[in-house]
Amino acid sequence: MTKFIFNSLSLVLLATGVAMAQDKIPLETKLPDPLFVGTPVPINIPNLEPKLKKFPTFEVPVGTVNLAKGKKVTASDSDPVVGTLDLVADGDKAGDEGSWVELSQGKQWVQIDLENDANIYAVVVWHYHSQERAYRDVVVQVSDDPKFEKDVTTIYDNSAAGKNQPYVESYFGKLMDAKGVKGRYVRLYSNGNTTNKMNHYIEVEVFGKPAA
Amino acid sequence: MQNEEIKQPQLTTAKFFTSSFCLQHSAFVLIAILALAIRLPQLGFRPMHTDESINAFITGKLLAGEKYHYDPQDRHGPVLYLLAKPVAQLCGAKNLSDLTETELRLTPVIIGSATVLLFGAAVEMFGFIPCLIAALLFAFAPLPVYYSRYFIHETFFVAATFGLIIAGWRAVKNNSVFAAAMAGLCAALMLACKETAVIHFFALGVAAVACGPTALKKYFPAPKILLAATLTFLVGGILLFTWFGQNWSALADLLRAIPNFAARAGGQGHEKPFSYYFSILDPQFIFFLVAAAGVYAALCAAIAGTRRTGLLLAIYGFLIFLIYSVIPYKTPWLALNFWLPLALLCGLGVEGVWQQFKSSTGRWIVGLAVAALVLTAGEQTKTLAFDHPADEHNPLAYAHTTDDILGLPVRLEELCRERKIPVPRIAVVAKDAWPLPWYLRKFSNVGYWQPGTETGAANFFITPTDVSGALAEQLKDYRPEFFGVRPNVLLILWTPAETLPAHE
Repeated sequence: MTKFIFNSLSLVLLATGVAMAQDKIPLETKLPDPLFVGTPVPINIPNLEPKLKKFPTFEVPVGTVNLAKGKKVTASDSDPVVGTLDLVADGDKAGDEGSWVELSQGKQWVQIDLENDANIYAVVVWHYHSQERAYRDVVVQVSDDPKFEKDVTTIYDNSAAGKNQPYVESYFGKLMDAKGVKGRYVRLYSNGNTTNKMNHYIEVEVFGKPAA
Repeated sequence: MQNEEIKQPQLTTAKFFTSSFCLQHSAFVLIAILALAIRLPQLGFRPMHTDESINAFITGKLLAGEKYHYDPQDRHGPVLYLLAKPVAQLCGAKNLSDLTETELRLTPVIIGSATVLLFGAAVEMFGFIPCLIAALLFAFAPLPVYYSRYFIHETFFVAATFGLIIAGWRAVKNNSVFAAAMAGLCAALMLACKETAVIHFFALGVAAVACGPTALKKYFPAPKILLAATLTFLVGGILLFTWFGQNWSALADLLRAIPNFAARAGGQGHEKPFSYYFSILDPQFIFFLVAAAGVYAALCAAIAGTRRTGLLLAIYGFLIFLIYSVIPYKTPWLALNFWLPLALLCGLGVEGVWQQFKSSTGRWIVGLAVAALVLTAGEQTKTLAFDHPADEHNPLAYAHTTDDILGLPVRLEELCRERKIPVPRIAVVAKDAWPLPWYLRKFSNVGYWQPGTETGAANFFITPTDVSGALAEQLKDYRPEFFGVRPNVLLILWTPAETLPAHE
């Protein structure tokens, strides 16, 4: 009997030792397959219900106005696919056909010349809000240099290098805090969107006061 | 005597090649070759629609050795997979991850092009000119071209329907058991393509009866014809649905599909107005106008007693158009069912007008008008099937996958390279993940969970935009990247917050 117990214990210890001596192997588990669904239902929403319930509360100094309205707009794509560059700062935010400009695919920018130096407190941009979509690599910069080669301040950056998060377009636009940065030119970049490779602008507002 | 024996076959061959029969059928072969040439380019260019990706997934399982199981929940029958599997195997595919868009779409392309040949087989039934015009419209018009390049059931269904019409007519007219068997087989193929075949059986039956009691009495099929057709229909249908006897529960499932399809007919988000198919088939009403002339010609021929097949076609076409238009559920590919009778009625219309003109000048005008019609259709095909095949403004690209999704697997590979993850574990948490299983097919460790279920750890998460609950908490330190799936539908790729490599 003692011999039997001894032999059994030896076998258990041996088996444990062998198991411990082996390399570890990755745990494998079968992941669930996708469930089948029917033909997707097309979603056509004239004006998508925004994720935001209301336009965010944001305080600016007394006397702050939209300095961009009616100002000259230039772009990396001087010959837009649809619309004209003046639509970017014409005050029309409706979002329907005729109120937006389409720049060609890939990374493109639009630039607004405020004509004078200004302290800029906020930039609000509407890319496209008649459909749920997100624009890629949205970057907004302010500078005194029209070529943006020096004295460039980045106020918003949701590209991979930036700190801001990507967002889904809505009719509230996207409010960006400019923190009173001083400059004459505002440049906005984007790199296509989740529906197509094009870049769109309905309106850009630059809220500030002429620099003292 | 020897000389005569030698000369005889030479004369026969020469006669054969110059006979109108040979010339006529050469025309259809030529059109079929052109149809194939038009359908083949850029097959992999358009993103995979959700329905295509589901069909691809099922085909991939069959390639990997799994058995086919009929799913009564809106999955349709096995014919598509039965034909696609050997084509994919010939291309070298062994499972889902091997498959490409081109390999899958090659099967409907072949069937769609071969359908043109069926118009050659229908010459005896409808006449040469109507069949020639219809073959041209089927070869070049946007609707048949677009959906012949689409990995869904419709092209096969229309081919089988045409086969049933031709074989059924031949069986009755020639009292042919072989033709009856072919008709039964075509009917089985129709049902094993789509369960909605019953609508077409009903419409064809009504059309046959409505063509005239006298004709029906004269041509009522003999018992042996009915028996041959019924037997092949039953045997063919059972073999197909049970995957050649491997899954007998499919027969009960077929009955269970009836309430599902009845509910589906109610719309389920795909409700469209009665006039929807007018806008899909022929927004300018040009084809309908020519087809109206065809209906008139068919009526005249039936009254004169020269030909009743045109009337049969007109009644069948009108009935299915009416039934599909009354049903709230509508999708653009269902319009392909009407293109067959519409194209043939256009052919009858052109023939009718042609016969009205006795002068060569008049006939030249008709010929030029037909050429203009086909060229216009070809121009539309170029725009819809090749230039903008997935554009949201393209009426044939229904709830279509956008190009943006093509960037998701590229981005994942890029992230895996940067972070040195050889086999990433990807968790997709979405109520409807399609067509992601197609686009993530190269990744071996992907799981799909319904919202609210525990996924465990993963290198990457993919979710819709409305993430909530425990998953939202889990992803709070992840960085989101948006990808478009369909117009108004976005997915988010969640990556653990490290310094991300920039988009290429």
